[in-house]
Amino acid sequence: MIRTVLLAGRAGLHLRVAARIAEAAARLPTPITVRTQDRAAVPADSTLALVSLGALCGSELILEAYGPFAPGALNELADLFATDLDAADA
Amino acid sequence: MTTNVRPVLEPCGVRVHETAPSREAAVHRCADVLEEIGAVHPSYRDAMLDREWAMSTYVGEGVAIPHGLDMSRALVRRDSLAVLRFPEGVDWDGETVHVCVAIAARGDGHVALLSALARILLDPGRARALRESADPEEIVAMLHLDDEP
Repeated sequence: MIRTVLLAGRAGLHLRVAARIAEAAARLPTPITVRTQDRAAVPADSTLALVSLGALCGSELILEAYGPFAPGALNELADLFATDLDAADA
Repeated sequence: MTTNVRPVLEPCGVRVHETAPSREAAVHRCADVLEEIGAVHPSYRDAMLDREWAMSTYVGEGVAIPHGLDMSRALVRRDSLAVLRFPEGVDWDGETVHVCVAIAARGDGHVALLSALARILLDPGRARALRESADPEEIVAMLHLDDEP
């Protein structure tokens, strides 16, 4: 199943934000991939892969996962992308 | 609002024969070079060290990206990069760093730069080429080619 979300982080998908999301993704019970309009799907649990998307604030991210755990896992990760994690860093 | 200026990397910002006894010393060298090329105010150094201790800037494949915190944007004079190569390696909290890409950026143009760098590092052949190149012009070219998807 697919879930789209707009990136809320005001400074884009930079290293600290990506590291936090990758760490959360690694704890989920099912693998999730993330892609943008421009870039092919990458695993959500890789910091470097997330950074490679080059997503700016407001970019649409397309999350994809399968299996019985997909709905919960997608919700959890979508919530994180939709949170301005840079605000917490300040 | 943020701007989308892409940080500038010039051959004069590339140093290929660096040595540093520690991660801290390496970050100091990164700050030295950013200062020398007129990219940052001297206080940016402290922001880089603070950022490094808050969370390692190691990104994998022997590369670290020392940079300041969001609040240090005012200390950036010109969005710029410096690349420092440490052929002997620097211990980086258990990892070994051979290349530092030092970043001074006010806007979010560095997200595009990070994306280009990440795509190089995800490709083992290109990652090795970046670590092993001792030619400033070649390093500049490697970090600039990636505007295509």
